[in-house]
Amino acid sequence: MLDRKIVEEMIAESISTGGDFAEVFVEDKYNSSLFLIGGKIDSAMTGRDFGVGLRIFNGHNSIYLYTNKSDRESLMKLASQGSKAVIGRERKEISIDLIDYRVKNIHNIEVLPDTVEKARKIELMKRAYSSAKEYDSVISQVSVSYGDSIQNVMIANSEGLFTEDRRVRTRMGISSVAQSEGEMQTGFFGPGAQMGFEFYSDLDIEGYGREASRVAKTMIEADVCPSGKMPVIIDNGFGGVIFHEACGHGLEASSVAKKLSVFTDKLGEQVASPLVTAIDDGTIPNGWGSLNIDDEGTPTRKNVLIENGILKGYMVDKLNGQRMGVESTGSSRRQSYKYAPTSRMTNTYIAAGKSKKQEIIESTEYGLYARNMGGGSVNTVTGEFNFAVMEGYIVRNGKICEPVRGATLIGSGLEVLQKIDMVGDNLEHGQGVCGASSGSIPANVGQPTIRVESMTVGGRSVE
Amino acid sequence: MENKALIEELLEKGKQAGFEDMEVYIQGSSSMDIKVFKGELDKYTIADGEGMSFRGVYNGNMGYAYSEKVDSSSVDMLIEGAKQNASVIEDEDKEFIFGGSESYRKVESYNPELEKVDTSKKIDFAMELERVALSLDERVESVSTCLYGESSGYSVLVNSKGLVLEDRSNMAYGYISVKVKDGDDIKTADRYVLSNDFSKFDISQLAKEAVDEAISMIGAKSVESGDYEIVLRNDVAASLVDSFEGIFSAEAVQKDLSLLKGKLGEQIAVPELTIVDDPFLENGMGSTGFDSEGVATVYKKLIENGVLKTYLHSLKTAKKDGVEPTGNGFKGYKSSISIAPTNFYVENGSHSFEDIIKSVKRGILVIDLQGLHSGLNSVSGDFSLSAYGYLVENGEISRPVNQITVAGNFYKLIKEIEMIGNDLEFILPGNIGSPSIKIKSLSVAGE
Repeated sequence: MLDRKIVEEMIAESISTGGDFAEVFVEDKYNSSLFLIGGKIDSAMTGRDFGVGLRIFNGHNSIYLYTNKSDRESLMKLASQGSKAVIGRERKEISIDLIDYRVKNIHNIEVLPDTVEKARKIELMKRAYSSAKEYDSVISQVSVSYGDSIQNVMIANSEGLFTEDRRVRTRMGISSVAQSEGEMQTGFFGPGAQMGFEFYSDLDIEGYGREASRVAKTMIEADVCPSGKMPVIIDNGFGGVIFHEACGHGLEASSVAKKLSVFTDKLGEQVASPLVTAIDDGTIPNGWGSLNIDDEGTPTRKNVLIENGILKGYMVDKLNGQRMGVESTGSSRRQSYKYAPTSRMTNTYIAAGKSKKQEIIESTEYGLYARNMGGGSVNTVTGEFNFAVMEGYIVRNGKICEPVRGATLIGSGLEVLQKIDMVGDNLEHGQGVCGASSGSIPANVGQPTIRVESMTVGGRSVE
Repeated sequence: MENKALIEELLEKGKQAGFEDMEVYIQGSSSMDIKVFKGELDKYTIADGEGMSFRGVYNGNMGYAYSEKVDSSSVDMLIEGAKQNASVIEDEDKEFIFGGSESYRKVESYNPELEKVDTSKKIDFAMELERVALSLDERVESVSTCLYGESSGYSVLVNSKGLVLEDRSNMAYGYISVKVKDGDDIKTADRYVLSNDFSKFDISQLAKEAVDEAISMIGAKSVESGDYEIVLRNDVAASLVDSFEGIFSAEAVQKDLSLLKGKLGEQIAVPELTIVDDPFLENGMGSTGFDSEGVATVYKKLIENGVLKTYLHSLKTAKKDGVEPTGNGFKGYKSSISIAPTNFYVENGSHSFEDIIKSVKRGILVIDLQGLHSGLNSVSGDFSLSAYGYLVENGEISRPVNQITVAGNFYKLIKEIEMIGNDLEFILPGNIGSPSIKIKSLSVAGE
C-alpha cells in the first residue's frame, strides 16, 4: 500500500528526536451502502477512504498525526512534524529494518462484496422489506439499510513489524414502524458479520424482517412500563449489551491505566456473582467484532475478563499497557486512520451457565422480561450505566404476561454484576456499533438469558 | 480556488460519461488536539484531511460517489461509482443540481486571529486548566479529560450549472471532565467552551464550574418513584431538543416518519414556545449563507407561539411540497444530501432560572441526561433516560439526586411546558440551544 522503504524512512525520522516508538498505519477502504424506504431504493453511496496515520510514543505520552496524502514529500513532512513534537529528548540516529509478518487469516471470505452486482443486494433488501411490510397492516413504514466494506490495512512500527491485513464486513439493518391512533413505535434488527456476501445465503432475512415488525406491532399495542426496582430477566443475544456497558468499558485499559475506572486495582477480587464468566474474544471466525490482528498489529486472542466472578484481566493496548506494566492483549482498535488506536472490545460475552430459560422465567414471581435490547452508555469513572429495552414484558407468577414499552434499565456496574442470580445455557451473540474515543467500531455483544435479582427500571407509570 | 484543474477534469469526463448535470464538492480541514493528563502533554494530535464528492444526474437520477484521494487517480472511480449508484435509485422524488439563489448573505465564520495565537499558549491553557481544577478542592482526585482542540475547514462546491461557492470556517474548544472522591463516593462533571475567539477561553470559570458541580453531587441518592415537577437546565433541555430535531425534517414527514405530518398551522405546543432555525446567528456554530445544495439559507420560526409553521426543506422535499426550499439540505463529502438545521434553538422566555426554581414545590432539577442515543425514540417521541440533578422542595434545592430515570413523550411535553427561562445556552457541537424549561410533570423511576 506504501513502499516499504518510505515507511522505514518515516519511522526513522519520527523517532530521531528521542521518541520511544513509532507506528505507521495505512488504510485503504472501500465502502458501499444502499438505503431503501417505502419499498424503493432512496440512496446509494460508494466511496474510498484512504489515509496514513503516524503515532509516536514519548514516555507514556503520544503524538498522533494523519494525512490523506501518500507522496513521499507529504509523508516525510508528517514524520518530521511528529518528531518536532517530541520535546526534551536526545536526538539519535536510527535505521529501521522492517520484517514481514504474515497474518494468519482465520476469517474465510468467499464472495467479496465488491464483486456482487447491486441488483443482488437490492433483491435481498426488498425481500427483507416485503416480509416486514406485509407482516401486519399496522406497519406503516419499513426502511432497510445495507452496507459492506473492504478495509485493507498496513501496520509497521519501530520494533520492526511490517504487516498487512484485510477486513471484510457486511451488515443489513431493518427498521419497522407501526402506527396507530397518532402514535408510532419501532422495531429494529441488524445482522452482520466479518464475511463476504455469502453471509446472506444462510441468513433468514425474511425472518429478521418479520421480527422487526413483530416488535413494532407488539410495542404499539403495549402499555407503558412500570417504574421502580424489580427483578429483570434479560434475554440472550444482544442482551449482552448489559455487560458491554455495565462492565466491558470499565475493563478497557484506556480508563484502567489512568485509574479512572471503578475496576482499577481489582484483579483477583470477586467483582461479580460466581455465576458470571465473561470473555472478550477477537478470534471468533467471521465474528462481527473479530480481527486477525488488532490495529497495532498484535494478533487478537481470547481474553478471559471475569472467571466465576473473579476479575482476571483487562483489555490492553500497547500505550496503556506500558503505563500498567503489562503486555498488550491484542485489543487495540480504531475506527480509521483518523483515530489513534486504544483498548476496545471485540466480541464480548457472558459465558453460558446451567439454567434453562424456562426455569429462569418460572422462578420469577414478578419482574421485567427484556426480550430485545436497544443500546446504552456508561460513565466508566462512576460505573453508572443505562440502556434501553426495545421489547419488554411483565413477568407474573412465573409467566410472561403483557408487553410494556419505553423501559430503560439503570445501575452501577459493580453492583449489577453481583446481583446476577441466574445464568442460562443459551449463549448467543448480537451485532452492534460501539462508539468511544477511538471512534465507532463493529463489536459483538452476547450472553445467555440472565436474571438480575433487582434493578432500577425506568418506565412511565407508577404502580 | 484549489483543485481547479481536478474539478474541471471531473466535470468534463462526467459529461463524456453521459451525466446531464454534475457537481463536485471538496471539503478539507486541518486540526490540532492537545490532551493533558497529570501535568503532561498526554496526547497531541495534528491532522490534515480532505475528501471529494462527485454527484450527477444520470438517466434522471442523482448518483453519488466519494474519495479521500483528492487527485486525478480517483476521477474514473468517482464517475463510474456515481453512474452505478444513479442507476439503482427508484425514488420518484428526484434530486437535482441547482443553478444558484439570487443572492447570498455573507456569513463570517472564520477568525484569522485564532491561528496567530502561539501553540505554546494553547498547551498552557490545557495545562493550567487541569492544574487549577486540581487545586480547587482536595476532593478532586484527578482530571479525567482535559483538552484544547481547534480545527479549520474549507469547502468548495462547483457545478455544471455554473455555480461556484466557497466557504471557510474555524473553531476551537476547551473541555474538562473532573473526578471527585469523598470516601467511596465518586462523582464526575464536565464543562466546555466553544468559540473561535481564544480570549473567551476562561480557565477559572471552566474549572470552577466543573469542580463545583461534581462536588455538589457527592452524597447523591435516588428518590422515591413517582411523578415530579421537572426543571431541565438549559443544556439538558437543549440536548433533548437536539434529539428530536429530526421530526422537523420534511424528508421524515414525507416518508411517514414524523408525527408532525399534517400538523402545519396547528397548535402543537404551549403558546410560550417558539423554536427557530437561524443561519445568521452571530458566532453561531451552524451559521452559513448557503447549504450543501447551494441554496441560500433563510431565518425561520419552526414553531411560533406554539403553532407549527414550517418544516426544514431540501430542494427535493420543497419541490414535492410545492414550497420554497429553506436552505437545509446538507451533506459531508461522504454522504448524500439530508436535511439538517443551521442554528436551531428554543427562544428565550421571560423567567430567570432562579424564579423557575422558586416556583417548584416538589420537583427535580435535571442537570444531566444519559443514553439519548438509545433511551429515546425520535419517531414515537417516547423517552426514558437515566438522569441526575437535585431535589427541589418548596422553591429550594435540597439535595443531590442520582440513579433515577426521567420518562415522558416529547410531543406531550411541549404541551405541558410551564415556564421558559431567559438563559439560552448552546451545546456541543454548538448549533443547538435552549433556555431552561420547567415541565408540569414527568414520571421518575427511582427507589
